[in-house]
Amino acid sequence: MMSATTANSKDLAKAAKLKEEYFTASQGQLIWARFKGNRSAMIALWALIIMISMGIFAPFLSPYDPTIAGRDSEYENGAPQIPKFWDENGFSVRPFIYTSTRERSIQTNFRWVTTIDREERRYVEFFVEGWEYSLIDIAWDLPGDLLDVNVKTLTFDTHLFGVAKGGIHLFGTDSSGKDIFGRTLHAIWTSLAVGTLGVLISFVLALIIGGAAGYFGGWIDSSLQMLTDAIRTVPPIPLFMALAAFMPDSWSSETRFFFISIILGLIGWPTLARRIRTHLLTERSQEYVLAAELCGASSGHVIRKHLLPSFTSYIIVDLMISFPYMVRSETALSFIGLGLKDPVNSLGSMMQNVSQADVLLNYQWYFIPVVFFVALVLAFVFVGDGLRDAADPYSSVKK
Amino acid sequence: MGRFLQFTLMRAVMAIFTLLTVSLIVFTLMELVPGSCAERYLAFKNTQGAQISIDDIQAEERRLGLDRPFAVRWVSWVSNVMFRGEFGDSCILRLDINQLLGDKFWISLMICLAALIAAYLIAIPVGIISASSKNAFANNSLRFVSYLGLALPNFLLALIIMLISTVFFGDSLTGLFSKEYRDAAWSMAKFWDFLSRAWLPIFILGWSATAFALQTVRALMLDENGKLYVTAASARGIGGWTLLWRYPARHALGPVINSLGFDLNRIFNELPIIALILTLTEAGALLIEALARSNDQQLAGAIIFLLTATIVVLNFVTDILLALMDPRVRRGMMG
Repeated sequence: MMSATTANSKDLAKAAKLKEEYFTASQGQLIWARFKGNRSAMIALWALIIMISMGIFAPFLSPYDPTIAGRDSEYENGAPQIPKFWDENGFSVRPFIYTSTRERSIQTNFRWVTTIDREERRYVEFFVEGWEYSLIDIAWDLPGDLLDVNVKTLTFDTHLFGVAKGGIHLFGTDSSGKDIFGRTLHAIWTSLAVGTLGVLISFVLALIIGGAAGYFGGWIDSSLQMLTDAIRTVPPIPLFMALAAFMPDSWSSETRFFFISIILGLIGWPTLARRIRTHLLTERSQEYVLAAELCGASSGHVIRKHLLPSFTSYIIVDLMISFPYMVRSETALSFIGLGLKDPVNSLGSMMQNVSQADVLLNYQWYFIPVVFFVALVLAFVFVGDGLRDAADPYSSVKK
Repeated sequence: MGRFLQFTLMRAVMAIFTLLTVSLIVFTLMELVPGSCAERYLAFKNTQGAQISIDDIQAEERRLGLDRPFAVRWVSWVSNVMFRGEFGDSCILRLDINQLLGDKFWISLMICLAALIAAYLIAIPVGIISASSKNAFANNSLRFVSYLGLALPNFLLALIIMLISTVFFGDSLTGLFSKEYRDAAWSMAKFWDFLSRAWLPIFILGWSATAFALQTVRALMLDENGKLYVTAASARGIGGWTLLWRYPARHALGPVINSLGFDLNRIFNELPIIALILTLTEAGALLIEALARSNDQQLAGAIIFLLTATIVVLNFVTDILLALMDPRVRRGMMG
C-alpha cells in the first residue's frame, strides 16, 4: 500500500518534471524534440551527415589525387574493384583485391583487354602514406594582384586506405585513369561549397530586401515587390548565359567557382525574400510587437529582439529547402558547359560525362556520382520537410 | 463593382509596368553579350572571304541604328514589339524573327503548360494527403516518388528513357514530329502525332516540377491544418476529404494559384536542356542555340520577351481570378 503511493507520487513528480521541461524548453529544443520523432527525416539527416563528412574528409578518404596528377595510367576506364574477404582460395581477415593486367596484342585483335588474376591477391592497407593534401590550401587567383591569396599549411599525406602495389579503385576509373571514388568525394565537397555560398548570398539579399519590404510596408514594400516580381519573371537560364558570357576562358577554376556561386546567389533570392516579407508583415501586426513599441522600443530593438527570433526557425527551414535547388542549378549549368569544367570535380561536371552513349553501354560505373547526387538532393529535401514540420508550432497538436 | 474595376485597372497598370521593367532587364542582358549585331554579321561575311574594315562595321552599325544611345534603342525595340508585334531581324540568319519562330514558341508554351498542369494534378492531392494523413508509409513513399523527380537530373532521365525505348521499341522518341508531319500544316493527325512524342518532355518536366509544387502545397496545407476553423468544422461532424477540401485546402491553394506564372518560368527554364537531348525543334532549343552557339541577341531577346510577357499575363489573370473569389485579396490590394 505504502509502496504503491510512493511509486504513484514518483510518477507524478516525473510527469510534472516532463511538463516543466516542455514549458521551459527553448524553441530549438522543442524543434529538435519534434524532429527526432520523424523517422524519415532522421534517416535523411544521417545520410546527409555521412555525405557531408565524406565531402569534408575527401582528401583523407580518397587514396589518389582526384586531379590528373593522380591518374592511374595502367587502369584507364577500369571497372570498380571491390575488396573481398574470401573467395575459392580461402578466407582472409584483411580485405583484398585481385591484380589485373591489361594487354593489347594481335591475340586480342588490338583491343585493350583486361585480365583478372584471381590467384594474385593484393591486400588493402590502412593509414597509408600517399599524395599530399593541405587542410588549408587557399590559392585564389582573383582578378587584380592585390586580391591574390596564397596560403598552404597543415599538410598531411596519410590516407585511410590503399594498396601497396598498383591501385585500388572502389568506383573504377574514368577515361584518363582518374579515380572516380576520389573524384566523387571531392565533387560532393565542391557542390556543397557552391550551394552554401550561393545560399548565403541569396539569404543576405533576401533578408535585406524582404526585411525592408516587410518591416516598412507602404510604398517601399510596393516598389520592392515590383522589382522582386520582375526578377522572378526573367528566366534564369538566359541570365546565367549572359553572365557566363562574361567569364573569360582564361579564368582559373577557383575564380569560375566563385563566379558561379555568386551568380546562383544573385538569382536565387526572390523566393526567399517574398517569404520573409510575408512573415514579417503578419508578425509585425501582432500584439507583442505593438506592446514593445508602446514601451518605447526602437525599431532596431524590435527587429533584433522580437521579430528575428520569431522567424529564425522559418529561415533555417527555407535555407534547407533552397539548398537542393542551388546544387541542382550548379549541375544543370555545368551540364550545358557554362558552369564548372572538367578539371574541377563537381557533381555537375562529372554527370556531364555520363551522357555519352559509350558510357551508357560500356562504362556504367560512371553513374556512381549520379547516385550520390540523387541521395544528396533527396536527403536535403527530406531534412527540409522534417525541419519544416518540426518548426511549425501547430504540428505539436498531433504529436 | 466599381471597386473591382478599379482593382483590375490597377493590376493592369502594374502588369504593364512589370513588363516594361522586364523588357529593360532583357534588353540590357542582350546588350551585355560581347559584340554587336553588326560585328557578328560582318564576321560571318569575313569567313566567306570578304575583306572587312572598321569602316564597314561602323557603316553596318549605322544602318542597323546601333550607334544611337542605349535608351533610344530600348524604346524603339519595346515600342516595335508592343505596338506592332515586330521583333526585327535575326542577327545571324537575317530572317524576320516572327517568320523564324513560327509556331515554335506556342509549341514550347503548350509543353510547359501541360507539364505545369500535370505537376499540380499530382502535387495537390499528394500534398493534401501528406499534410494530413497519419499513414507514415504511404505518406513517405508518395513524397519519395515525387521528390525523386527533383533529385534525378532531367537530362539523365531523358537519356535513360531514350535508351530504353531504343533498345526495346526501336524508336528513340526524339524530335517533335514524325517525318511525314514535319512540314505539314496543323491538322488533327499532326496534333496526335505531336502528342505521341510530346508526352516525354511533358512527363520529364512535370515530374521535376512536382517536387516544388508538392513542397509548396504541403507547407501551405500544414499551416492551415491546425487552425481553429478547421477544428470547429470537424467538431460539427464534417470529416474526410470534404473537410480537407472545403476548409483548409481552399485557403491553402490561394497562394498556389498566385504563383502559377513563376512556376511556368521555372519549367521553361528546364526546357532547353531537355530540348537539346531529345532534339526538339522548338523555342527552348532555339533559345539555347541563339544564346550559347550563335550569340543571336535579337532572337534570344524575342523568345525571352515572349515568355516573360506570357508570365506577366498569366499573373494578371490569376490575380483577377483570385480577387473575384476572395474579397480579402481585393481589400489587401487596395490598401
